[in-house]
Amino acid sequence: MIEVHELRKVYGDRTILDGVTASFAQGQVVALVGPSGGGKSTLLRCLNGLESFDGGAVSIGGDRLVPGGAKANRAALHRVRQRVGMVFQQWNLFAHRTALGNVIEAPVHVKKVPLAQATERGRALLARVGLSHREGAYPHEMSGGEQQRVAIARALAMDPEALLLDEPTSALDPERVGEVLDVLGALAADGLTMLVVTHEMRFARNVSHRTLVLHGGRIIEDGPSKEVIDNPKHERTRAFLGMDRK
Amino acid sequence: MKRLWWVVLLAMAVLSCHGRAAVVGGGLARVRAAGVLRWGGDIQGGEPYVYEDSEHGGRLTGFEVELANALARELGVRAQFVQNDWSALIPTLERGTFDVALNGVEVTPQRVGRVRFTRPYYIFGARLMARRNDPSVQPSLASLRGRRVGTLANSFSYELLRHVAEIVPYEGVEEPYIDLVQGRTDAVLLDDIIATRYGEPKPELRVVGDIADGYYSVALRPADDDLRVALDAALARITASGELERILRGSNIFNDRQRRLVTWTDDDQRRMLGTAAAGQRFGWSHVALFAKGALVTLLLSALAMCLAIPLGLGLAVARLYGPRALSRLAGAYVELYRGTPVLLQLYVLYYGLAPIVKLNALSAAVLGLGMNYAAYEAEVYRAGIQAVPRGQMEAALSLGMTTPLALRRVVLPQAFRLALPSVTNDFIALLKDSSLVSVITVVELTKQMTITAVDIRGWGLPGALCALMYFTMSYPLSLLAQRLEARLARS
Repeated sequence: MIEVHELRKVYGDRTILDGVTASFAQGQVVALVGPSGGGKSTLLRCLNGLESFDGGAVSIGGDRLVPGGAKANRAALHRVRQRVGMVFQQWNLFAHRTALGNVIEAPVHVKKVPLAQATERGRALLARVGLSHREGAYPHEMSGGEQQRVAIARALAMDPEALLLDEPTSALDPERVGEVLDVLGALAADGLTMLVVTHEMRFARNVSHRTLVLHGGRIIEDGPSKEVIDNPKHERTRAFLGMDRK
Repeated sequence: MKRLWWVVLLAMAVLSCHGRAAVVGGGLARVRAAGVLRWGGDIQGGEPYVYEDSEHGGRLTGFEVELANALARELGVRAQFVQNDWSALIPTLERGTFDVALNGVEVTPQRVGRVRFTRPYYIFGARLMARRNDPSVQPSLASLRGRRVGTLANSFSYELLRHVAEIVPYEGVEEPYIDLVQGRTDAVLLDDIIATRYGEPKPELRVVGDIADGYYSVALRPADDDLRVALDAALARITASGELERILRGSNIFNDRQRRLVTWTDDDQRRMLGTAAAGQRFGWSHVALFAKGALVTLLLSALAMCLAIPLGLGLAVARLYGPRALSRLAGAYVELYRGTPVLLQLYVLYYGLAPIVKLNALSAAVLGLGMNYAAYEAEVYRAGIQAVPRGQMEAALSLGMTTPLALRRVVLPQAFRLALPSVTNDFIALLKDSSLVSVITVVELTKQMTITAVDIRGWGLPGALCALMYFTMSYPLSLLAQRLEARLARS
């Protein structure tokens, strides 16, 4: 359902994405891994137009994003962003809204869902991420793990066809990582399409179906997760996974 | 709280000392010893009094310059001009900045009780002017009952109009006639010299008539009575010798009225001085006027802020998110309004644009202050918007919000909360800046204070009460700002 064709992005004299082509099927959980600066986050942010690109195209469902940023893609962007949700490393919860307020904000104001209906669904989503008891809490009153689970519920509230997750556990205290991964595992089991930029190799190996390794703006390895992680073919992947000395 | 009372007491003490520090005795000896007669005046009063001659490199010119030189010569000293705002000539004289006030200082009962006057050097008529197409104004005070009449604050004409007309007080000599032409007032009552220069050249206006005679005299501190006697003698000499007539003719202001100056007697002097108005006691009626002034100040500031907040918000958003042309325009607005004095902006809005938009004084004041403060609010919001983390906007966009919706629902509410302490502080500043609107005839708290200070011949109590009223209005706001800042720091 998501097709990336020859995606190129240049920043000054640095090439961030150097002709990335890939397609992602519905229901697939894909881990994007690789060393920092390899282009993983940029690729993810190009998929919902938070980042513009200089060459190639992205198509999601029937909507196509082309080079030229917001100006060139105005109509498509609006639809694309309703089809794919995004979860950020730093959560980015709306600081002036409660947990429930964060979850119902977009359904009420973008999709015009009646408030009562949105609230009912919002509560169900908070229950799904295990935070029913925190619906009245403001972001600054919650732990990082709780905030990230609210952020996931917020993205799900728009009924996205796919979820993009940009290092969802990197900013968390180690003891909080598990609670977020548990939620993601449950979502994967429910058949939600997810693209996850992550450094959690256990998550990549055990939960995701497929792993892509990005290096220098290119995909250097792409295959079933267990295969890629347990038996990488590319030497860069081996170096990245710390397997050289074996 | 204790500290607060000390501040108030200190302010009252300072204010009540003001004006009582008169120099004691020996004025003539002092002037002779110094070799200079320092005379206070305001070049802003313009031609023919004291002004800078633009054709002669800004040389000080005017019939009062020649008069001061002649008087100094008679005393055997040199004359030295001291520039001072006209409305503050008497208090500045009292605190000893110059020896005499000599700049169209009219003999009024209020001033007689406060300073010593020499014999007059000019007799003027209080000239009434109205619009040519308005026959209802007659050459009598009675015809002005209840009408809006412009004049200079605290002038001889102001005293004539008191309790008769609705007085519109001005600080300049040109503005009353501009407003009369515009229909903002029904008539103007001012000295004939002023009317001739500034009113009569306007074809829309007509002279209704002269209502009363008034006198320009040299004013001195009561302690300098020997100097007053010497100046009276000097004036008598130059009047008798015809020098005064030559000086007045030189400025084209000599007329039949001035012939009385030659035959001036002690009886004439007594009649001119009349009975000094007993200084009014500061009473509840003044407090009521102050309360009204404070209400005007508060209303004006609140309305101006109600305009400044949305306008500033619009400017900030246009500058940050608008298309290039709009963004530039908003930037230009902010720089223009921050880069020029609000006083000038008020003048342009009220007098400059009068031929195009005829605003009444209060609307012009609200609009002028509001548009000025919008520029400052725009910068406060811009800082607030930029302080909201970028991720907030990204999160909103990634949920399918359009940029305007994301601004309205996510960024601006947070930016506004960040900006609120600054906005409150700006409102406190606006409360005090609002006193500037007295230049466009709005009588607010500060103006009421200066008017009352002249009536009761003292700045102490009115000053203290005025300060107390401003403080009463701004201190709660200051506490509010502190509380908002604290709340912001917590979250």
